[in-house]
Amino acid sequence: MGLSAVKQKDESQRITPPGFANQRQEIDVKGSTRLNMLVGLALRGLALQFRIRPSLRKHLKGVDGWINFSLGLCTEAGNVEQYITFADGRISVSTKRPAHVDVTITAIDDQILKEIGSKPPNEVLVRALHNKINFDGNLAYMQLFNYLVSLVTGGLQQRMVDKAHKADVCQRKAAYQINDPGLAQEVRQRRHYRMKGGVNEDPGVKHLDDSYLSQFVLEDFPRLKRFIDRYLSVRPEVDPERITLLTDWYREHGWEKDNAGQDWFPPLRNSLAFRHMMEKKQPIINDQDLIAGTTGSKEITTHVFGDGQGTMLWAELNSMEKRVLNAYTCSRDTAATLHHDIFPFWADKTFREYVRREFDNPHCQKIDDRWVAYYVWKSTGVSHTIPNFKTLLEKGINGIKKDVLQRSNDAGIRDEQRQTLTAMTEVLDGTLAYAVNLSAEASRQAQDCIDVERKAELEELGRICAKVPAQPADTLAEALNAIYIIWVALNNENSDTGLSLGRLDQWLQPYFKRDMSRLSTNSEKEAYIKKAVELVGCFAMRLTDHVPITPDIANYLFGGATSTQAITLGGVTPQGDDAVNDMTYIFLKVAEMLRLRDTNYNCRYHPEVNSDNYLKRMCEVNIIAQATPIMNSDPAMFKALAQHGYPMEDIRDWAATGCVEPTLQGKHFSHTGSILLNMVASLEMALNNGYHPLMRWQAGPQTGSIEAGDFKTFEAFFEAWASQQRFIIDQACTLNNMLGQAHQQIRPTPLLSVLIDGNIENAADALHGGSKYNSSGTSNIGLADVIDSMLVIKVLVFDEKKFSFKALKNAIDNDFEGHAKLHAMVMNKVPKFGSGNAEAREMAARVTEVVHDAYMSTEHYRGGRYAAGFWSMSQHVAYGGLSGTLPSGRLRGKAFTPGLTPHPNASNSLTDNLMDVAALDPKNLDNNLAFNVKLTPGADDTREKAVGTMAAYVKSYMQQGGMQVQFNVVSSETLKDAVANPENYRDLLVRISGYNAYYVDLNRDIQTELIERAEYQL
Amino acid sequence: MKDSPLILEIKGNSLDDGPGIRTVVFFKGCPLDCSWCHNPESKTCQVELSYDAKQCIGCGACVDSCPQGAISKNHRFFVDRRVCQLCFTCADNCPSGAMSKAGRQIDMNDLLTQVMRDKPFYLTSGGGVTLSGGEPTLHMDFLSELLRHLHQNDVHTLLETCGHFNFNQFEQKLSPYIDTIYMDLKLFDPGEHEAHCGVGNQLILENFERLLELSRSGMFELLPRTPLVPGITDKKENLGAIAGFLKAHGVQQAKLLSYNPTWHAKVSMMGKDNPLADQAEMNAWMSTEDIQNCKDIFHHNGIEV
Repeated sequence: MGLSAVKQKDESQRITPPGFANQRQEIDVKGSTRLNMLVGLALRGLALQFRIRPSLRKHLKGVDGWINFSLGLCTEAGNVEQYITFADGRISVSTKRPAHVDVTITAIDDQILKEIGSKPPNEVLVRALHNKINFDGNLAYMQLFNYLVSLVTGGLQQRMVDKAHKADVCQRKAAYQINDPGLAQEVRQRRHYRMKGGVNEDPGVKHLDDSYLSQFVLEDFPRLKRFIDRYLSVRPEVDPERITLLTDWYREHGWEKDNAGQDWFPPLRNSLAFRHMMEKKQPIINDQDLIAGTTGSKEITTHVFGDGQGTMLWAELNSMEKRVLNAYTCSRDTAATLHHDIFPFWADKTFREYVRREFDNPHCQKIDDRWVAYYVWKSTGVSHTIPNFKTLLEKGINGIKKDVLQRSNDAGIRDEQRQTLTAMTEVLDGTLAYAVNLSAEASRQAQDCIDVERKAELEELGRICAKVPAQPADTLAEALNAIYIIWVALNNENSDTGLSLGRLDQWLQPYFKRDMSRLSTNSEKEAYIKKAVELVGCFAMRLTDHVPITPDIANYLFGGATSTQAITLGGVTPQGDDAVNDMTYIFLKVAEMLRLRDTNYNCRYHPEVNSDNYLKRMCEVNIIAQATPIMNSDPAMFKALAQHGYPMEDIRDWAATGCVEPTLQGKHFSHTGSILLNMVASLEMALNNGYHPLMRWQAGPQTGSIEAGDFKTFEAFFEAWASQQRFIIDQACTLNNMLGQAHQQIRPTPLLSVLIDGNIENAADALHGGSKYNSSGTSNIGLADVIDSMLVIKVLVFDEKKFSFKALKNAIDNDFEGHAKLHAMVMNKVPKFGSGNAEAREMAARVTEVVHDAYMSTEHYRGGRYAAGFWSMSQHVAYGGLSGTLPSGRLRGKAFTPGLTPHPNASNSLTDNLMDVAALDPKNLDNNLAFNVKLTPGADDTREKAVGTMAAYVKSYMQQGGMQVQFNVVSSETLKDAVANPENYRDLLVRISGYNAYYVDLNRDIQTELIERAEYQL
Repeated sequence: MKDSPLILEIKGNSLDDGPGIRTVVFFKGCPLDCSWCHNPESKTCQVELSYDAKQCIGCGACVDSCPQGAISKNHRFFVDRRVCQLCFTCADNCPSGAMSKAGRQIDMNDLLTQVMRDKPFYLTSGGGVTLSGGEPTLHMDFLSELLRHLHQNDVHTLLETCGHFNFNQFEQKLSPYIDTIYMDLKLFDPGEHEAHCGVGNQLILENFERLLELSRSGMFELLPRTPLVPGITDKKENLGAIAGFLKAHGVQQAKLLSYNPTWHAKVSMMGKDNPLADQAEMNAWMSTEDIQNCKDIFHHNGIEV
């Protein structure tokens, strides 16, 4: 659908459809006028404080001068309308709308408006999520305004947060009155028993006598033990280094135009800024580490991305240390730098503001502003993909640079292409400068070191960083250090979202083998294997040194989410042979010992090629580590990817990205996490003729009214839903394409480009479609809830005519209150997806096909296609909280099922679930899925029996065509105990949907959803 | 079909009724009448009405729809079974599933389709199909056909039996297709057996000896099992006698089933009184120590349990 059509629809906003109760309250005219006066007075009071108190007044000024902006505060009824304008140090308050308003905040009624002033900031944000408060304009200025308010009322706000925190602790204890130390102990003791691996089971394993490496425990590696203990106790810190270096460079050299007044070519501009940053970046080598470098200047860094969501933190600069969930440290100096220096520079240079400006505040972004229907991730970043580390290790940066230079000497190359190639050499040089600085730092530390062993390690690090990543790697230690240095560089170029590492077991095995071949005695070899485990362990810990920065609202959207850096293991080679090797098992050992929430281990398994030995090892690691690795089926994924026309050799080299999504590693700019879409939003719109009840907005086309009797058949209703679904998908893709253009202008990625095949050859940035393969991947949330709702409508309304569609709609609108009998029928009389019922399976196939086909037929700004996935991170909880009652019987606000997992009541038998999910056509799931299964080991069962049962589930499921499954091996009882006694469970790892988190970091809604998942015995 | 039994439930994904991942078919009807029967709905061969108060939402649809007026909150078991004609109008109208029909006839093909669905899991786990009840051997011809099909399809079969059956028929119709038999030896004293189980145990013990003989010829595996019921079967004399009997027959492996006290509610669901429900020991799980003591009796006789 074109943009003009969307704009027309926009006119029909806020029309209440027939049959939907108008929730707007009767307005008490006198009281409302008084409220308007009070709001005006409060704003004037605020203005006065900033005029007369120098300690406050200084906050109105940034390094570039006064921070000017204006903000409106209104109610939907219009009885309150006040504007506050900050201009060159003057502050004015008016009831008349000024010519330019940066952002207008609208509360749906007087009560909500009052709560903006009286509730803690996080609760205000929750009201925004629930569309009780809407905004129009640049959110950065709303956050700036909230920051200014917090300077005046900070103490009061903090007391409210503290009170909420205390209340939360009490509620937890009261909710689950269990305190059984045995439960926490059971989880912790699982690692004490370890199975031995079989001999000669995997042709690719050349050097491990016991492929399970059962001889090792974490305590054998004191430095790893130290690193993980530290990681679990250190709070991430807001790191100003990167953003300050970049902002300084842009200030000095210009943003849109250079100092000569010429338009900057964005890739070149960014490459020069990047080089400056990497040259000046502190080279840090951590005490005892075997891998050099750090993502940022803090122990656990959180980067601020000014062009992404960085300014969302403006309001929280003074409070983020004390928030209830996932607090960050932010020093006073950092807060001052961000407020005066960084945020004012970036406030208008964000991806979202680019779209608002260039595309005239499009309908598709207005939907995104309301949270409920979709989230387009490009407002943050675009780097859900995998660089080609094989090329890097084999050629070194010098070799790659040679290719770039050679290409720029080609005849007929255009100026823009040449500039793009120059940008590539600049970022490579910047990366090399950082490696040289690390080498010098290692030598400096070595000189000062009195411990002989450590001195030797530091000298070795000095040698390594002088060699790689400039030159090809020769040893495992060199390869890991080379990859990590590039990783640091990439994470300083790109936003912290899902950038992934690929099939590291495949890429690293040659270096491991080469190291082994240099050793002669058995004891040398044994010592080296231990060293290799330790090296990989250090590397895994280095990957944890950064987490994405998130405003508090994200704790309710993406609870406990990390950078989600996937590593892929196992499967088959590009030629189709068994790919499992020594490094596969070394990574699995590290996964078992460290039990980290990030990296996100994805195992590939080919039931006809890979061994049972490997399958059982995945299962045993999953039991010990509770919630990792994810298990993926190669044959199903091959079928899913084939429709895109990729060559089979490249398909066989797929690797997981972020959570689970497939990228043809090193060749594919795949932005696999581009859109998170709430499928239930389109169902609610179909039930309400295009109107969305929570948004209170005619957001979509009119597709028929239940109240008017427009649906004579089930097919008519299904088609109405499909139309809404296609509309929402079209809108999300339109916004994705617009944001893609914003990225081309604001944040080209020369370094990522040079590391993905095709971009050098095409002399184009990856953002301009230079990569060999292009696509964007999406995730569609609430699938089981939509399927089950459709089944209820089909079976009970149209087939069996148990009640009318109107009666069902009426019950839904009342959250089934007063309709207990109807609710019981809906819940009990219709087979659900996951029950093994043929009709339910067929419905699942139809629904997934509608979604897939809509994406597959949508054009993509870089060429290529959109891929449809069905995983949900934690959005099934967040979107559930924002969705109304459904025909499936799911009540208002309740979480959806995670990913495409069937409803817990679908069947008592896990095998029914497994068979139904396996029956879905992989073609419709080409961005993968999350099928979340909770298992509990029987108290009396041996490890061998538990592993055997789990392996049987996985193997049969995948033989039947199942694509992916992810297990939590933890009981509901243990999870309840962890809610009440979080202090006993600091490292309890859980799988939400696609990613891992520590359970105690999650918000209560997500914790509850995990408890309520179906639990099956192992 | 000349002999078409009622099926109570087909339960998939069972990990406790034999090796691997299994599907269990529960047959309705039993020649015994054990006082502690954990599946009281399986005792008779007729369809019955089951009422589960836990699932009931109190909507009154059953009360309104019953043509006999047999349902009322005032009845002790909600349904007056003397008046009920088993028309199941109430079950058809019940939205929550609280009122349900216990027992249904299933066509052989449908039954096979259902149990074969999980075959992929049987193959990878070493599982299969378990036939339980009630007493499956009440329906020799039906069972024979079912077992033959499963056997032909390479599905591992396991029979759970009380041992009270016609051995000749068993040998002819069932034994060629069975891989494993779990057979109960509940009470050794014939008088006690008759008192608690409604019939004597002479046939059962004789059948056990014959089954043992067949198992030794490699026909199938045989595992004797004794359910531990507090104050009834778990008495030293009883366990000692059973263990002695097994030892005398050279049996080295048996199984003790620990007591599960959660069955009482099921009796009232069928509208019956349950005198055992009032006894304290019948409402508790057995202690680990008590279970160990029972096991020791077998261990003393050289029998693994």
